[in-house]
Amino acid sequence: MQGVKPMTEEFAEYRRDESRTCGAADTISFPVSEHELRAQIGWLADHAPSASITVQGARTGLAAGAVPCGGHVFNLSRMNAYLGLRRDRDGGYHLRVQPGVVLSELRRHLRSRSIPAVNWDPASRAALDALYAGCEQFFPTDPTETSACLGGMAACNASGARSYRYGPMRPHVSALRVVLATGEALSLRRGACRANGGRLVLVTEQGRSIPLELPAIPSPSCKNAAGYAIADDMDAVDLFIGSDGTLGIITELELELREAPQAVWGACCFFASEESALDFVIAARPALKRALAFEYIDGEALDVLRGVRTEGGSFSSLPNAPRAARACVYVELAGAAAGEVLEELKLLSELLRAAGARGEDAWVARTDVDRERLRLFRHAVPECVNTLIDRRRRDMPSIAKLGSDMAVPSECLRDVMKLYRDGIGKAGLQSAVWGHIGDNHLHVNILPRDEREYARGKELFAHWAHAVSAMGGSVSAEHGVGKIKRDYLLAMYGGERVRAMARLKARLDPMCRLGRGNLFDEALLDEVAAEMQGGERP
Amino acid sequence: MNIIVCVKAVPGSTEVKMDPATNTIVRDGGASVINPFDAAALEVALRLKDDAVRQGLPCRVAVLSMGIPTTAELLRDCIARGADDALLLSDRDFAGADTLATTYALACGVRRLGGADLVLCGKLAVDGDTAQIGPELAGALDAPCIAGVTEVLEVASGRVCARREVDGGAAVAEAPLPAVLTVSKDAAQLRMASIAGVMAAEGARIEVLSARQAGADPARIGRAGSPTQVVRSFVPKADASGIPIEGSVDEQADAVAALLKEMGI
Repeated sequence: MQGVKPMTEEFAEYRRDESRTCGAADTISFPVSEHELRAQIGWLADHAPSASITVQGARTGLAAGAVPCGGHVFNLSRMNAYLGLRRDRDGGYHLRVQPGVVLSELRRHLRSRSIPAVNWDPASRAALDALYAGCEQFFPTDPTETSACLGGMAACNASGARSYRYGPMRPHVSALRVVLATGEALSLRRGACRANGGRLVLVTEQGRSIPLELPAIPSPSCKNAAGYAIADDMDAVDLFIGSDGTLGIITELELELREAPQAVWGACCFFASEESALDFVIAARPALKRALAFEYIDGEALDVLRGVRTEGGSFSSLPNAPRAARACVYVELAGAAAGEVLEELKLLSELLRAAGARGEDAWVARTDVDRERLRLFRHAVPECVNTLIDRRRRDMPSIAKLGSDMAVPSECLRDVMKLYRDGIGKAGLQSAVWGHIGDNHLHVNILPRDEREYARGKELFAHWAHAVSAMGGSVSAEHGVGKIKRDYLLAMYGGERVRAMARLKARLDPMCRLGRGNLFDEALLDEVAAEMQGGERP
Repeated sequence: MNIIVCVKAVPGSTEVKMDPATNTIVRDGGASVINPFDAAALEVALRLKDDAVRQGLPCRVAVLSMGIPTTAELLRDCIARGADDALLLSDRDFAGADTLATTYALACGVRRLGGADLVLCGKLAVDGDTAQIGPELAGALDAPCIAGVTEVLEVASGRVCARREVDGGAAVAEAPLPAVLTVSKDAAQLRMASIAGVMAAEGARIEVLSARQAGADPARIGRAGSPTQVVRSFVPKADASGIPIEGSVDEQADAVAALLKEMGI
């Protein structure tokens, strides 16, 4: 089959993703169109009918969702065309892209008004002219890793710092095209296909009707990317977003654009203690109406930054955090004009004072140069921690960084922080904590110094998964569950609900080939696939 | 000690637009930023001020610019980062100035600010790239100049001692005050503004002077005072045409060699 290649050493990198885990596959292909992808699925049906299928984008995921579990790999990075633009009745813009479009490229094209409009129809071209004539538009989802691709971002319902204001990826996708494991295609427009009383009926373009009985699985009341998003009256689009590549292959997305704020200022605020930082965040969230993001860096993470600054190299140009700072909260404020943001900054200054911090110690970024410096400052934290762990792994390859992705409802922020601190303290582990404190979503990173610490860290994470679930939280708020957080999914939903999700998957993927190993362990998938074979067939 | 830092607004983007009629850079419309070399100069000045304050000595840092009215906001940003005073020379009569007319105008500004012990400039501006302003300003002020400064080692007893970059290394130079220093971009990284600084800067007065108010001779400013004339500026057109070469590796190599020979290379 043209385009399907054996998984030779040449393609070794496609066995991995940013989770730093490695899988295996027999074949790989890089389709450039849905047509080609469907032809390859057809070929697989004839030549490797039971082979598992793993979908990859830019392989920037942290939960091993793109790591193959045998079988075939569809790498969609070459499906990276911009397909068209639509303007809705309210004047909003919807940009249609293939899943391999990379976020940083999308941003660049929107900012510089240079969207590649090759072979666009006249209606799309007219919409593009109107877009260029108006205010700058942007796509609000902003995961830290801007080399992520849009398909991958949809697959794990990505979010990022600004999800505090804009929410995760899901509400910003207005339409999807999806190819099922059977090779059939679905064209889903938001609002056009909704569940009714827990029953959702999908109709493929080939005319087959797929009725789905949605299990009753309440979603947590916080940021969540763990398992399927299910609701009695849900939109069909939302079922596929965040499904970790287990229900279908996203071949097109329509992205809802928004008018970019004219003034965006960042403020890096420093505190003498974590308690002060928490006081500030809890007071500032309801008070600051123009906040886009609240991000956190703890004292240990600041120490890591201080260390690399003195080592020279690219990190030496990072701004130097005040010596006494043991916590940092980055607040991003936006407004239609600088004056609006200045008023909000004044309020922020008062809130800082009330929390015992000083406006003199807080950095403000109002220019692109300064915004970039603060972005580097924040993003240097995970980079430096990864470097530190890589150094340790040279002597001890069996250890790895342990990073959490859990979120809790707002009222539990202090409780979850205490949970983390007590656990880390009792286990005597080195840690660094950062993340999206506005959404009560912190990445707690354990930095093991030996195998025993690594094991203790894993135990701690398992304990936290149960404790966070008991608080009504999520075990994965933005990275998705993939292959490495399946046990946490069980802790969050319990075995019966996870089995109900697996059965839902089997309705769309009867042999459970897609995204095998993601969300569900293989034994469970074999069981539900056997149920399907014994029962109703598609 | 009084320090004046000359700052220039430069295009924030690398996509510089030229005015085909005047052959000068179009400075309105796009977002501007402080010339990165001037930003380093400002940080050097602010560090000198920090040292002086630590020693209980008085020190003021003023920023000076010649530019369009919106440049005032860049000067306000300098105040948010720690500068004390700001003066903007803004007048259509200043427009189209070459480095000679610019340094004359800046010298007028320096005098309006009451003079200085140290005048700091960026070594060059990233748009014009001349590296002439600092040395010419020193000439206009009849002051010594140390160019390409990477570190100010000491300011004491009426003298400034600085390390400067030279071809293949570094040198230490000393000059009596008042002096003009041009600062290398790597000398320092401009500090972030603080919240307190931003709020203080909002109420700060940015003095804006016309050519007449600055006491400038109309014949020595703007296009009238600029002996340098840009005759023509253009963006070179890329020639993407090529000659396909086929055959085995050896045949292709021979073909390339023959072509180079034919082109006289």
